[in-house]
Amino acid sequence: MIDINTTYNLIKEFFQIGMFSFGGGYSTLPFLLNLTHHYNWFSAQELTQMIAVATITPGPVAINVATYAGIKAGGILGAFIVTTSEVLPEFIIGLVVAKLLKKFSENFYVQSALWALKPTSCALLAYVALQLFNNNIVNNNNLSWGIIIFIILLLISILKPKNPLWYITFSAITGILFVYFNIINI
Amino acid sequence: MQKIKLIDIFVAFLYSGLILLGGGYVILPILQEELVKKRNWISNDELTDYYAISQSLPGLISINIAILTGYKLRGKSGAVVGVFGITFFAFWMIVALSSVITKYTFNPYVQGAFWAIEIAVVILIISAIREMWEKSVKDLSTFVIFFLTLVIMLTTKISPAYIIIASVFIGIGYKSYTQAKNREVDND
Repeated sequence: MIDINTTYNLIKEFFQIGMFSFGGGYSTLPFLLNLTHHYNWFSAQELTQMIAVATITPGPVAINVATYAGIKAGGILGAFIVTTSEVLPEFIIGLVVAKLLKKFSENFYVQSALWALKPTSCALLAYVALQLFNNNIVNNNNLSWGIIIFIILLLISILKPKNPLWYITFSAITGILFVYFNIINI
Repeated sequence: MQKIKLIDIFVAFLYSGLILLGGGYVILPILQEELVKKRNWISNDELTDYYAISQSLPGLISINIAILTGYKLRGKSGAVVGVFGITFFAFWMIVALSSVITKYTFNPYVQGAFWAIEIAVVILIISAIREMWEKSVKDLSTFVIFFLTLVIMLTTKISPAYIIIASVFIGIGYKSYTQAKNREVDND
């Protein structure tokens, strides 16, 4: 069970996320990472695991992550509260825009706002990448192996981009083999 | 035209949600197959418009498309079942998986797998950043916006919501200013 205070905070925070996240599948991550500074619902490391699990499960990644975050914060009820709060603002705005359609997206103010929002969401995601790089690779017992795998995967993603599932599967197998052959310390 | 059943809208989005794997960028081809080719509910042009509009709305692209399509087909109730359909598996799969994952977190092989997966996640995010960068940072002014946002995020613990709000005002302010300036030049 979760108390009234947590329930209120979950609704408040995830309503905000639904209201203000722009720019595709990972746009909720800067908000979720920010939550780790203010609440103890989940850690940055748990957030990374959520992203991994979300990538290999069906459905929109942000809904997967929201559900997972909700479970960590307050069980199934928490998950229900969180996903509902996150979808609600989008639903209300979506219904209004459904009547305007192209008039909305071709509007001067909407276009001007988007012109600035796009580099902003790109930078917010860059912040997430730097923080997670620091958390998952730099502050880790197996720094040198971490850097090596990071560079290999980065080169693959630049030279021969693959499906997201491929990266998750490849790294999972690598990690298991590394433990089996005692290459890394867990 | 015969009225489209709500249950059919639900099933169409339920199925799209089930085969949607690994990030929102693959949603367009999935919906093209399901809504345009298979069911003939909307035209390809309409879907492309919905996709473009969804990108200018807050929240998730796939959910926004479900709202817009559902609304077009059956009004508000169509939008509701569309959203329930596309989020159904995303929600229940995680609910089912989370207890399994918690159970095995202390297994060294699971920990090893996650050690490497956590590196892969950083790569996935970097790939998304590179894609967004190409579409957004095109000149000095957009680079300044990018740079300032990153510096503020790294040095403070401010909520990204405030940065998004500020960015909306900066965009409208800057574009209104340049538009007014261009008009002045034209008048001269």
